[in-house]
Amino acid sequence: MSRYRIEGRGRVDHAEPVRFSFDGREFQGLRGDTVASALLAHGVHLMGRSFKYHRPRGPVTADSAEPNALIGTSRGAGRFEPNTRATVQELREGLACESQNRLGSLAFDLGAVNDALHPVFSAGFYYKTFMWPRSFWDKLYEPVIRRAAGLGKPPVEVDPDIYASRYLHTDLLVVGAGPAGIAAALEAARAGARVTLVDENPEMGGSLLSEPGLGIDGQAAWDWLDGALAELARLGVRLMNRTTAIGYYHQNMVGLCEKLTDHLDELPPNAPRERMWRVRATRVVLAQGALEKPLVFHGNDRPGVMLAGSAQTYLHRYGVRVGDRAVIVTSHDSAYFAAFDLVQAGTKVVAIVDTRPAPREDLRAEARVRGIELLAGHTVTGTRGRLRIASVTVNEVKGGRVGDPRMIHCDCLLMSGGWTPSLHLFSHTKGSLSWDAESQTFLPGHLTEDCHIAGAGRGLWGYSAALADGAMAGAEAAAALGREAEAATLAVTQDRAGTGETHKELPTDRKSSRVRAFIDFQNDVTAKDIRLAVREGMRSIEHVKRYTTNGMATDQGKMSNINGLMIAADAVGKPPPQVGLTTFRPPYTPTTFGAFAGYHRGAQFEVTRRTPIDAWAEQHGAVFEPVSLWRRAWYFPQAGEDMEAAVARECLATRGSVGIFDASTLGKIEVAGPDAVEFMNRMYTNPWTKLAPGRCRYGVLLGEDGYIRDDGVIGRLSDDLFHVTTTTGGAARVLNMMEDYLQTEWPDLDVWLTSTTEQWATVALNGPKAREVLAGLVEGVDISAEAMPHMSVAECTVAGLPARLFRLSFTGELGFEINVPARHGLALWEALMEAGKPHDICAYGTETMHVLRAEKGFIIIGQDTDGTVAPEDAGLGWAIGRKKPDFVGKRSLARPDLVAKGRRQLVGLMTEDGAVKLEEGAQIVLDPEQPLPMKMVGHVTSSYHSATLGRSIAMALIDGGTERLGETVHVPMPEGVVRARITSTAFYDPEGHRLKL
Amino acid sequence: MMTDQTHDFRVSAEAAQVRIEELAPVARFSLRVRETGRAALGAALGLELPGKVGRCVQAEGRTALCLGPDEWLVCAPEAARDELRAAAAGVYGDAPHSFAEISDREITFEITGPAAQELLSIACPRDLDRLAPGQAIRTVFDTAQVVLWRDGAEAFRLDVWRSFAPHVRALLDTGRAEIAAGL
Repeated sequence: MSRYRIEGRGRVDHAEPVRFSFDGREFQGLRGDTVASALLAHGVHLMGRSFKYHRPRGPVTADSAEPNALIGTSRGAGRFEPNTRATVQELREGLACESQNRLGSLAFDLGAVNDALHPVFSAGFYYKTFMWPRSFWDKLYEPVIRRAAGLGKPPVEVDPDIYASRYLHTDLLVVGAGPAGIAAALEAARAGARVTLVDENPEMGGSLLSEPGLGIDGQAAWDWLDGALAELARLGVRLMNRTTAIGYYHQNMVGLCEKLTDHLDELPPNAPRERMWRVRATRVVLAQGALEKPLVFHGNDRPGVMLAGSAQTYLHRYGVRVGDRAVIVTSHDSAYFAAFDLVQAGTKVVAIVDTRPAPREDLRAEARVRGIELLAGHTVTGTRGRLRIASVTVNEVKGGRVGDPRMIHCDCLLMSGGWTPSLHLFSHTKGSLSWDAESQTFLPGHLTEDCHIAGAGRGLWGYSAALADGAMAGAEAAAALGREAEAATLAVTQDRAGTGETHKELPTDRKSSRVRAFIDFQNDVTAKDIRLAVREGMRSIEHVKRYTTNGMATDQGKMSNINGLMIAADAVGKPPPQVGLTTFRPPYTPTTFGAFAGYHRGAQFEVTRRTPIDAWAEQHGAVFEPVSLWRRAWYFPQAGEDMEAAVARECLATRGSVGIFDASTLGKIEVAGPDAVEFMNRMYTNPWTKLAPGRCRYGVLLGEDGYIRDDGVIGRLSDDLFHVTTTTGGAARVLNMMEDYLQTEWPDLDVWLTSTTEQWATVALNGPKAREVLAGLVEGVDISAEAMPHMSVAECTVAGLPARLFRLSFTGELGFEINVPARHGLALWEALMEAGKPHDICAYGTETMHVLRAEKGFIIIGQDTDGTVAPEDAGLGWAIGRKKPDFVGKRSLARPDLVAKGRRQLVGLMTEDGAVKLEEGAQIVLDPEQPLPMKMVGHVTSSYHSATLGRSIAMALIDGGTERLGETVHVPMPEGVVRARITSTAFYDPEGHRLKL
Repeated sequence: MMTDQTHDFRVSAEAAQVRIEELAPVARFSLRVRETGRAALGAALGLELPGKVGRCVQAEGRTALCLGPDEWLVCAPEAARDELRAAAAGVYGDAPHSFAEISDREITFEITGPAAQELLSIACPRDLDRLAPGQAIRTVFDTAQVVLWRDGAEAFRLDVWRSFAPHVRALLDTGRAEIAAGL
């Protein structure tokens, strides 16, 4: 039995020991312990070192608000976690923990030299100290600060755990399974609502778990609790323990993080470590309770100084006495009950130091009965002890004067500065807070969401009040859900209601410069820092927070915000609500990145869309590139080939004989209906009325601003049916844009749009032998040059498959695009490969496609255009149906800036040395000798080595480019300035003879 | 061998909770028609086109699901494809519409078993308690647009665009293994 454990007490399992280690030392705790409770059972209070001053620290709480007892935990490779709260981490067999933030051992920390230098590290010291010389910041200050700052070691290995996600819909979500939350859930569930009750702790019950002496409804508190939870389960309530409501978002969306395996001895296969729940609740009851406030006095951070309510929790939940000899310092009645319980458990309570001059008479009497000395109207002015408190100095305060010091020996000091409602989730909703002058605290004010706040979370104190309020909230929620409920009343005996006072720093007899009274334990912020910030001009609590870092640690100021505010308000000389409370933001407690990422990791990090022909490409060694969400075959290297060689071979093979290309990713939209042609006339720049069925046309789509948005070849299959193709990346955008116009501008048109991108697999055949390859496979249409000229479309059969066959070309060669139902894509591809064998058919990828089209000066939307290129700028003036009354963007084409001379226009560029390939994105200047900064006149948009032409080619957007044909421009690069001549973009077969084969 | 037996046991335990199966293709059309043409198209296709989004009507192996005020998904056995197309075309003059074939656009997964609804909740944000058997909705599964059919209390179908199907399937498999883990 460990020295401080009480046999048979608490909710831990005394029959099941659990072994664990802390800093290499073996310990034994009990099933149900946290790391903190198990260490405290062995008398270990020292659990870590502080962030800035490396001061020794022990747990100050027994819950998730813990600022001090942060440890590293691990369970094998990749499963190290820093900054785990020892007060939350449940023991598991073999758990290995280590203390953090020490240089050397926990007991002898070299970093503690910072503590001696504390005057240097006052608030804002970074800003003042490291300003000069400026050049030192990058090389010296920042690296040193980075190494010294921060808590714990970041994990360096890949996290092997699985993280899960769920969506959940519920009528009522109750956050917090203390007395108020349970009462609320009971009422709503009895009324027949779908109810979900969540609590961050392993066990439900909240403060009831620390109050076994209470009687509820004629039963002992824990018996009532068992019965209530059983009834909830019977009523079908979803009970979720170890589940933290981390954020409250719009329209009652609440994020929950459920911890599933951190407490288990063994990891079950495939079990997720955590699960993120996205809950949509019709109503929400927030029953988060209240957080006990520390008192602010010199030495209030020494190990052994702890919140009184937490000592009570260690006693009742874990059967652990936090010390043998306790002193209580309090401004609230609640700490008396902790003292009385400790006495009963065998701890000597030497004194209760009450800051109030006249404590309640009944409490005085109770203290007297137990032999506790009551020091009313006293203050604490210091503590002593190296790694653990050994004594506390108390002084009487009379008429505002601090009297003589008196030292009292103790091994723990239990403090209570009263309680502050946990407003975090309410604050996420942007609900307003109201200042309650009487209790000196903020309470929830105006509600912006469909939620109810119950119990201590809205400042009610005592179990009777919390149960009644919870039941009321549950009944109200049920009524709002259209169900009948009547709030039950529960009789409570041995209730421990009480009141208290709120303080700034406790009065002291020390010189103010010698006081180290901590407010934010995790960020090492003292009361003095707050006052310094105010002296240096900070007036708003938001500025004070940022200057001092008060409340900016991972606990988000659960312990420190109110104390910081009281002191700042005092220093500013204004009431607290005028200085303000900082905003709480999700998550409520630190949450793993894994929980947020969920299933989105590895292969499922993002959708990877593959075409029906992707498997063939993979088998044949394709290198892929991502194009929007698709992965496309980039090039097909053969043995020994690099990218350049593969692309050169693919280009030459296509121009020399025939190439085959998977164009399935092209967006496809079926535009159907009697008004289809009218719709096309209004959407695209081109005229469509005279396009005969069976013919196609290259279409240009503009935005209202007159700039090019998308392009593609569009076939007219019948009077009322168009097969529109879009760019791969533009498919969804173009459909949305079309639907938008149709629904909002032209709802009168009888035309409908259907995405058929994935209905069809599309294979492009290009090259002088394309027709010969295809001819034997086509049935139902004559594909001779005469019967099926360039820019035709026909429905037919290819390789026995129903097909939409286009004759078009994006390479300048004789070309066909064959669309077949997607499931047959691979069969079509293989049939074409077979038929192409005699012609050495060559599969090519997107890079070759880019080179071939660039040789012809065909643009790629988004590469040669950037959202500021009008059709004339891109040499596409011919595609504008000028006689049409209107089309999207038409009016903008007449804008003065779009018709002005000297616009940036798309031209060809040939480097003087054909072996030199320009860099895409490179800037262009007219005179390389001009002084810096030079005037840029444009940039390179596309640049390739053309195997066909035996030299490099490029396209560029240049100011007044089309009027500068033949001129030389200069492209300054790190290796020197490259000279290039402006040319037409038609580098290859400018007359287009090869299309007409 | 022991290891094989253990493995088999685990797989069958997973299957007992939820099964995922890719179904054979059917003929699928996206029908768009104004309210004035609804009755005519229904008559031609041999179904009364439901007027409320999410409602399905079935007759002689054909199904029509209302996906929007002027949008229906029409499914039928593959053998009925040409007949349906001809029937729709036959009333085009009186009831102009769009009847686009999308049989190959989507892959269908059938998800059945006591844990089917839970499995869908890993990535579908809709309240599935409110999706009654015989109804279907257009929604998302993770980032993929899907049509989700509820055929029974423990039976669903998921129509997924072809290229998104492997992603959806991988998530479903991950979820199934997680459900089998029992945590």
